[in-house]
Amino acid sequence: MSTLNQNYDEKVKQAISAWVDGEASLQEKELAERSVRENVGYARYAAELKKLTSSLKRWEAEDLSPDLLWRLQNSNEREGFSMKNLFSSFNVRLAGGLVAAAIAVVIVVHLPEVMQQEQKGKDALLLKARQEQTPVEQKKPAESLAQPAAEVSRSVRDGVSAPVTALLGVAKLQGNKGGHGSYAPMMARAEMRFSENRELSSSAVGGLSFGQRHYPAQPGNTEGYNKVEELSFKNVTSDPLSTFSIDVDTASYSNLRRFLTEGQMPPQDAVRIEEMINYFHYDYPKPDGKEPFSITTEIGPCAWNPGHEVVLIGLKGKELDKATMPPSNLVFLIDVSGSMQYPNKLPLLQQAFRKLTNQLSEKEKVAMVVYAGNAGMVLPSTSGAEKSKILQAIDGLQAGGSTAGGAGIQLAYQVAKENFIKGGNNRVILATDGDFNIGASSDAEMVRLIESKRDEGIFLTVLGFGEGNLKDSKMQQIADKGNGNYFYIDSLMEAQKVLVRELGSTLFTIAKDVKIQVEFNPAKVKGYRLIGYEKRVLANEDFNNDKKDAGELGAGHTVTALYEIIPAGSKEDTGSTVDPFKYQQPDKVKEGSDELLTVKLRYKEPDGVESQLITKILKPAAAGAVFSENFKQASAVAEFGLLLRKSQFKGSAKYQDVSDTLKGLKSEDKDGYRTELIQLVEKAKAMDETPVSGIQFKN
Amino acid sequence: MEQTDEELMRAYQEGDEEAMSEIFGRYQKKIFNFALRLLGQRADAEDATADVFLNLIKTETSWRPSAKFSTWLYTVARNACLSKLRKHRNVFSLSFSKGPGEDETAWDIPEPAVAATAFHQKELSAHIKTAIDKLPVSQREVLILREYQDLSYDEISNITGESLSNVKVLIFRAREQLRQTLSFLLKEVQS
Repeated sequence: MSTLNQNYDEKVKQAISAWVDGEASLQEKELAERSVRENVGYARYAAELKKLTSSLKRWEAEDLSPDLLWRLQNSNEREGFSMKNLFSSFNVRLAGGLVAAAIAVVIVVHLPEVMQQEQKGKDALLLKARQEQTPVEQKKPAESLAQPAAEVSRSVRDGVSAPVTALLGVAKLQGNKGGHGSYAPMMARAEMRFSENRELSSSAVGGLSFGQRHYPAQPGNTEGYNKVEELSFKNVTSDPLSTFSIDVDTASYSNLRRFLTEGQMPPQDAVRIEEMINYFHYDYPKPDGKEPFSITTEIGPCAWNPGHEVVLIGLKGKELDKATMPPSNLVFLIDVSGSMQYPNKLPLLQQAFRKLTNQLSEKEKVAMVVYAGNAGMVLPSTSGAEKSKILQAIDGLQAGGSTAGGAGIQLAYQVAKENFIKGGNNRVILATDGDFNIGASSDAEMVRLIESKRDEGIFLTVLGFGEGNLKDSKMQQIADKGNGNYFYIDSLMEAQKVLVRELGSTLFTIAKDVKIQVEFNPAKVKGYRLIGYEKRVLANEDFNNDKKDAGELGAGHTVTALYEIIPAGSKEDTGSTVDPFKYQQPDKVKEGSDELLTVKLRYKEPDGVESQLITKILKPAAAGAVFSENFKQASAVAEFGLLLRKSQFKGSAKYQDVSDTLKGLKSEDKDGYRTELIQLVEKAKAMDETPVSGIQFKN
Repeated sequence: MEQTDEELMRAYQEGDEEAMSEIFGRYQKKIFNFALRLLGQRADAEDATADVFLNLIKTETSWRPSAKFSTWLYTVARNACLSKLRKHRNVFSLSFSKGPGEDETAWDIPEPAVAATAFHQKELSAHIKTAIDKLPVSQREVLILREYQDLSYDEISNITGESLSNVKVLIFRAREQLRQTLSFLLKEVQS
C-alpha cells in the first residue's frame, strides 16, 4: 500500500472509530458510512470495533474493598460529616456477600530492603507460594486454611530475607503479629490471590482485598457498632426510679479482647461495660426456695471517684442438674459462605461442635442447617446419642459461596418447629461472621419471623465469628429479638466456654423477661448513674407491664449491674438538667428509713405469661465493712471499661489501679480469665498511655 | 424526580449532608474503577479514590456551580491518578497483583480458535487488563473514559485537556493497538 493509501486507510478507520461512538463530524460520518457500505473490509472493521467495545466490558467493574469503604467513611467523619446515611446505603451491597467473600492474601513488605532483592527472588517467591496453594483443594476443609496461610508466610520469609509479614485476609494468624504499622512510611502493598483454588477464586473475581490496615486503633473494615451513649447521673429527688432489663451477653468482652490482643485499641462503641462485667464469674449465693435466682446487693467505695460509692446488684440463676434438665431441641444454623473458611471461623466452630457433641445425650436432639448460596439441611434432627452421625455432619461442613441467610433461618425455624419439645429447650443457634444477605426490604421481615418464633417458644442464640465483616450491632439485635443471647467467639477457649462449659446456662432459660427496678431513697442518695446497660434501659412504667420484653436468664448464669451513687450529704451537683420540684419537698421523704434503696425484680417462668415479683433492700455498709471479691472484681472491670470507652465519667480511673485491684484478688482464678484480663489491662495501658505511631490517614 | 449531581452539590454546599452521601453512592464505584483501570493496581487506586473523595468534601472544594459535576470529578480523579503514576516513576513499585495465569511471563496465549469460548471470565478480564495496561497513559485514559465511563468526546476533552480532534486520534490509536493484542476476541467477527 502506498503512503497515500495508508494515510487514506487510517483516515477512514479513524472516522469509523468516531462514527461507532456517535461522535463523528459530518464529514467523518459521511466518509465512514460510505466506506462501510462500499467496502467489506471497512464493514468488518466497524463490526470489530463494536465487538471490541463489548468485549472490553467483560473486564467488569470491581467493588470497593471494605478497607476503602472504611477510609471513605473515615474521611467524612473527619470532616464532621455524619456518614450514617452513607453507610446504610452501602449495606445492601455489603450484604451482597461480596464483603464476606474477601479472600486476598496481602503481603506487606518492607520496601527498602525488598528493593535490594533481585527480581529472581521475587519470582521464586511467587512461584513457591503458588505451588503451595495448589493442594488446598484436596485437603480437608478443617485444616486447609491454616496451612496455605502458614506456608505462604513461610515461603515469603524463605524467598525474601527482608522482614515480611503475611496476613491472611481477615483471619490473622495467631502469633503473626509483626508489622502492625511499623513499616509505615514506605510500603508496597501486594496482593496475591489464590487463583488456583476454585472455591476461593470464584468469590475472588471481584478482587476484593482485606488489606492489612495501617491505621492504629481502627478496625478499618465494615464492622458495625451502634453508638453507645452513656447514661448520665440522675437526681434522686426528681428520678427516684431506675429501670432496666438484665443482659447476659458477653460478646463485647471477647471482641475487645481480640482488638487488644492484636495491638489495637477497640472502637469506643464496641465497649459495652455490662457485657464486660458479665463475662466474669461471680460467687453469689445459690438461690434457695422456689425462686429461680438469688439477689445480692452490696455497697462500697467508688475506685475512680472518691466521695462516690458503688452499688452492686447481682443475680444468680439456679443451677440445673444435668440429669433433671429438660430435653433440648437444637438446630444449628451455620453460615458456610466463602468468608467462613478462615481458621478462626468455620474450622473453629467445627472443633467446638465436636467437643459439644461428646457431651450430648439421648435427651438432646441436634439438627444442622447450612446456608450460603442456598440453604440446606445437612443433618436432620438427630438424637444426641448418635454421635458418629453428628460428627460426620460436622466434618462435612465446607465453606464456599455467598451468604443468603434468609432462606436458612426460615428452614432452621421450620426444623425446630417440627421437632418441638414441649417444656424443653427449643433453640436455633446461628453461627455466622457477617450479616444476612436477604435484601434490605426483608430485614424487618426477619425480625418479625424471629419474634413470632420466640412467641412459639423457639429461642435464638447467635454466635459471631471472625472479624472484618462482623455486624456486631445487627447480631446483638436479632439475638435480643429472639429472646436469645449473642456471643462473640474468638478462640477455641471461648467456643468451649460458650458451647461446652456453659451449655446449660447458655442454652437453657430458667427465667425470661427479667427486669430490675431500683428505687433510691433521697434521704440517703442524692444522685445515681447506671454503669453500662445503655441499650437495656426501660421506661419506669414498663416494669409492671408484662407485655414488655426483657432479657432472659440461663441456668447458673450470674448477672451483675453497678450503680455509681452520690451520697445524700454530698455538695456535688448531679449534673441533672431537671429543675428541682416545686411542690414536692425533700422533707416529705418517709422518715426513719435507713434504707439506701430497694431492688425490685420481675421475671416470668420460661413458658410463663405473668410475671413474679421479688424485692430486696440494701442498707448502708457498716463501718469497717470488708468488701467482697465480687464487688472488687466487678468494680475493677467497670473501671477498665470506663477507660477503654474514654468515658466522661471515668474520673480518676487508672489502668494501673485496675490491674492492682485484680492482682489483689484472692479467690481462685479457675478458668484463667482473670489472668487474661490483667494482661489485657496491661496491653491497653501500654497502648493508651503512649502516643501511637504509625501511618495516620493521609490528608 | 431524581436530583441532578449539581443540585446535590449545591444542597451540600448549603449544609445538606445527606446530599453528599448520595453523591458518594453515585460515584464511588465509578471513580474507584476508573482509577483501578488506569493505574492497574488496587492499592494505588484505593489511595487515589480516597484522595478524590476527601478533596470532594472539603468545604473549599473547587467545584463551581457552573461546571458539570461529573466532568469536574473525573478531572480531579485523573489528576490524582496521574500523580500516582508520576510517583511510581521514581519509586520502585512491587506488585504481586498478577496472580497465576495473569503473569505475563507465565502466560501462554491460547490458540485463538478455542480462546474466545474457553476463556474463563476471570482470565478474560486479566487479559483485557494486561492489554490496557500496555497502552501509553495518554491513550489509556481516554480509552477508559470512553469505554468504561461512557463519557462523550467532549467531556473527555474537558477532563484531559486534549483537543477534541486529539481525543479522536487517541481513542482510535488505542483501539488499533487493542485490536492487535486482543485479536483473539475479535476472531468470530473476521470469520
